[in-house]
Amino acid sequence: MRSLHLTFEPRLAISRAMTITVPVISLVLGFLSAAPLFLAVGVNPVLAYRQVLGVFLNVDGLTESLTRGIPLLLASVGLCLPFKMNFWNIGAEGQLFMGAFAATGMVFLLPESSAFVLLGSMMIAGFIFGGIWGLIPAYLKARLEVNEVLSTLMLNFVAILWVDYLVYGPWRDPKGFGFPLTPMFPPNARLPWIPGTRIHAGLVIGIICAGLVYVFLARTKWGYELNVTGESRLAAKYAGIDYLKLTLLVMFISGGLAGLAGMGLVSGIVLRLRHGISPGYGFSAIIIAWLARLNPLAAVPVSILFGGLLVAGDALQIGLGLAFATSLVFQALILLFVVGGEMLTRYKLALTWE
Amino acid sequence: MAEIDMTFFVSLLAHTVQAGTPFVLGTIGEIYAERSGVLNLGVEGMMAMGALTAFMTSFYTGNLGLAIALAMIVGGLVSLIHAFLSITMRANQIVSGLAITILGLGLSGFVGKPMIGMTAPRLGTFPIPILAETPVVGPVLFSQDVLVYASILSALVLWFVLFKTRPGLNARSAGENPAMADSLGLNVYLIRYLCVLFGGVMAGLAGAYLSLMYTPLWIEGMTAGRGWIVIALTIFATWNPLRALLGAYLFGGVYALQFRLQAIGIGTQAPQFLIMLPYLTAIAGLVLISAEAVKRRIGVPTALGLPYVRGES
Amino acid sequence: MTPPSKELLVQMKGIVKRFPGVVANDHVNFELRAGEVHGLLGENGAGKTTLMNVLYGILRPEEGEIYIQGKKVDIGSPREAIGLGIGMVHQHFKLVEPHTVLENILLGLKEPAFILNVKDAANKVLEISKRYELPVDPKARIWQLSMGERQRVEILKALYRGASILVLDEPTSVLTPPETRELFRFIAQMAAEGRSVVFITHKLDEVMAVSDRVTVLRAGRNVDTLQRKQLDKTKLASMMVGREVLFTLRRKPVIAGETVLDMRQVTVMGDKGFPAVKNVTLAIREGEIFGVAGIAGNGQRELTEAITGMRPIVSGEVRLCGNDIGRESISHRIEHGIAYIPEDRVGVAAPRGLTVAQDLVLRKYREKPFSNRVLLNPHEIGDNAERLIKDFNIMVSGKDALARTLSGGNLQKLILARELSGSPKLIVAAYPTRGLDVGATEYVRGLLLRQREAGAALLMVSEDLDEILSLSDRIAVMYGGEIVGTFSASEANIEQIGLMMGGSLRRP
Repeated sequence: MRSLHLTFEPRLAISRAMTITVPVISLVLGFLSAAPLFLAVGVNPVLAYRQVLGVFLNVDGLTESLTRGIPLLLASVGLCLPFKMNFWNIGAEGQLFMGAFAATGMVFLLPESSAFVLLGSMMIAGFIFGGIWGLIPAYLKARLEVNEVLSTLMLNFVAILWVDYLVYGPWRDPKGFGFPLTPMFPPNARLPWIPGTRIHAGLVIGIICAGLVYVFLARTKWGYELNVTGESRLAAKYAGIDYLKLTLLVMFISGGLAGLAGMGLVSGIVLRLRHGISPGYGFSAIIIAWLARLNPLAAVPVSILFGGLLVAGDALQIGLGLAFATSLVFQALILLFVVGGEMLTRYKLALTWE
Repeated sequence: MAEIDMTFFVSLLAHTVQAGTPFVLGTIGEIYAERSGVLNLGVEGMMAMGALTAFMTSFYTGNLGLAIALAMIVGGLVSLIHAFLSITMRANQIVSGLAITILGLGLSGFVGKPMIGMTAPRLGTFPIPILAETPVVGPVLFSQDVLVYASILSALVLWFVLFKTRPGLNARSAGENPAMADSLGLNVYLIRYLCVLFGGVMAGLAGAYLSLMYTPLWIEGMTAGRGWIVIALTIFATWNPLRALLGAYLFGGVYALQFRLQAIGIGTQAPQFLIMLPYLTAIAGLVLISAEAVKRRIGVPTALGLPYVRGES
Repeated sequence: MTPPSKELLVQMKGIVKRFPGVVANDHVNFELRAGEVHGLLGENGAGKTTLMNVLYGILRPEEGEIYIQGKKVDIGSPREAIGLGIGMVHQHFKLVEPHTVLENILLGLKEPAFILNVKDAANKVLEISKRYELPVDPKARIWQLSMGERQRVEILKALYRGASILVLDEPTSVLTPPETRELFRFIAQMAAEGRSVVFITHKLDEVMAVSDRVTVLRAGRNVDTLQRKQLDKTKLASMMVGREVLFTLRRKPVIAGETVLDMRQVTVMGDKGFPAVKNVTLAIREGEIFGVAGIAGNGQRELTEAITGMRPIVSGEVRLCGNDIGRESISHRIEHGIAYIPEDRVGVAAPRGLTVAQDLVLRKYREKPFSNRVLLNPHEIGDNAERLIKDFNIMVSGKDALARTLSGGNLQKLILARELSGSPKLIVAAYPTRGLDVGATEYVRGLLLRQREAGAALLMVSEDLDEILSLSDRIAVMYGGEIVGTFSASEANIEQIGLMMGGSLRRP
């Protein structure tokens, strides 16, 4: 029996137009789909949306968005690299925590140094420790085929608990009323910032890194190797690519950038290390990288946008009594629409007669 | 320092069984999903939603049966989103699963916020007459709640279904060689939908157990990464429900041990290291099994994680 | 083999099947009588498998009609075909490897609906297996079985479902000569019972040995259908190819030079945990083509993988121009002049998501001029691509087009262009003309010969004996992971080679 069918046909070339429209539409749809949830908890969705949009419509909101976007930018730019080779680094959160830990350690070690020396060593330490935290799952995967989703995830918990141990224990501020946080950092441990805002030097570092990673991906040998490996590990082997070396390099950089994000958090915004220093930035970074289609330059505006969502989340929390988890819900919904819409860039709808 | 004697040992084992039950339930479900070829990383989110639903239902209605049922339904509904994205929309299964987890965790935090710290009616134990009196085994295995018994029975029944019945054969074939299964007339898409749905239902049930039995009140972060451990367990169990039972209780033991050690005063200086145990154990287990797998080619379902498209090879 | 009745079991009229860019079946007609063995002959791409896939319900034709026993039918799926008594054994077996034989046979059936009653089913399988002398162990897992045994499982699958029409697609490509004789015996038994067999092949000798009638297809169209007594090898060959087929040698005499590849007592492990290559010793010199003959699956793949570095060697020595490369990385071997045309071409040797220009430097991107230590040189890469596209006549919209947009044949050309340009010292080519049409095949063979004249050493694995005989200077036959015979082209004796391929003869 012949009938008309709606099928998906593979596209021969990835549609340029779709590459931009799909994420944008997904963003909007994801956003709007949160409306029923607001209703369900007795909040007027229109009020909620107004709060969110309000963030972007005033200077304070915008600068805060930029500020919150900094760790997101650094981490998501880093994630573009392993994701490109299909190495699923879900451990940005843990790598961030380790970076924050190492940076704080430097403050304890060199409290009297000049800002230049101290900040410099904090950055280096943050990058290295975040990088090491990324090397572990990289080695386990390349040598032993250990599933990297699980290993990076488990290491997240370990890193978070390690920081907890420090802030509840040996590093706890004796004048902190028992709260799990370190003493406040001295002024030489603070990243320079734009007066009147909380935007700190991390933004510049982040944008520079976005550019560097873009060049890395587009113009270097390793970028090419990432492309090939992302297509097929067997093809990479055939091409003579050393999977172990590539994975280690890429995860060191990715973990390092997440570590820098952690350093930026403790040195630029919070000015101490404390329990829950990151409310899931590492996970949001995954969504941002995916939304940016693994393009580090696109990660810049998307990070700022998500920074805005976080600010809005705060406003909703304070203003309407909603949980902080609200912004997580937004992010998840956006991601779901992006993931679903992705298919449309690779396939097109067709009517066939079969 | 309290005594470590037979009573300690028995109560440790009993606690092990309880701590292991959410793992049994979650892992069996994930085994079916993965056997059919779909990687479901959304288990953590589905568990969180299940925990929330069960708690809220119990809180507002006091009806535990309803609470469990609704938790299973919610888990299933959430899994349908993942199924739709992964199977019909052929999306990247890893990212889709992650999105679901973030959604589930977010929703659970979002909706559950007003209830933090509250308690709700909990599942009581249901000792099996006579068997509950036996020394050691009695309190450990036969003085537990209904869901514990259900979980053990499920493991046995679902093992049988997977390996000795046609639906099980079909599910396994969809995950090993979907093109072949399709050409033989099996509806690969439907099979995968059903298996993912089953996984979601079980994850929801596992979550319900957490909030109705295991934890005395509603807290933030109820699941604490258990959903991820379920995924690791699926690998350790080599996609076999009977082995899942063993692995689940092993992990249950780690949780129980960690709890009891703290209770008798060991490790209170730095409890975080004890709390780290399950996650470190998971990594260690993955390393061990990977070394084994590389040697003996333990069977990952061949088509796991790959969307099936008729006509494309 | 005279059938008891001459009723027409199957009639296919005017079948048209189109794929993007090609008409696979162009108004093709086909008939089958009860108790007949009907050979379907043609080259690769002639449309034979497509036609039978239409009969089996895997493909839906754009035009045409099918009649079974005089009644018009519309076969929408393999399930419907099976219901009509049609069974098909494909060239690439549709078996699930981790499952048992019995599970594979039972897969997709309606009964038993829930609990798989293993005993009854096993008995039925053993019954059929005994009746047709196709021995098999229902409890064995497919990955444990040889290709010949797997084919038996496929046949049993069809018979278990009550097939009265059996379609075999290139069945002898994976069989040894004695197994082939067994298959022919089975086919004769089927025909004697009044069932029909369609035998798809490109092998002239076989189709002549077994068929009552032969239908020849070429480029998607019917050429003719001949009766048994009309069958003649030369006639069939020219019908198949469309022109006079001259089996001529075009090899120019070349003086072989230094030894390029020197392998001694090399052992390589296979995927299943036991050695796939056992104590192989061979040497290839400059200007020499070394042909490795044998049925696929006897260690040839693992041998090529060991030479190119894709697979580690367990013992023995591999020397390239005197240097021991046994432990060297793949990139080292590429750098020192090893070109590799692998068996699994598409995804591995030319990833489809990369551009043509990127694929054309897949093995050499590390070297000057394509990159310095860190950065790639897009200019050079682009120039290289444009040059190769022109020289090798690769049909593509541009060097920045995705490899995905290339047809199968053009992708092969891309791989060959990349590997055969430059001056490789050693070319390892596995089944280089597999899947190519006649024109492309001649072209590739010409390329290989030209490299030989330029002084390269070539190792060529092929299943096509004609190809081996016409191109090689020296020939080795592999069986069971060992080289069971080595000789120069002039000493080659087809009888002996055939026996060696089947494992019945050794000549060190």
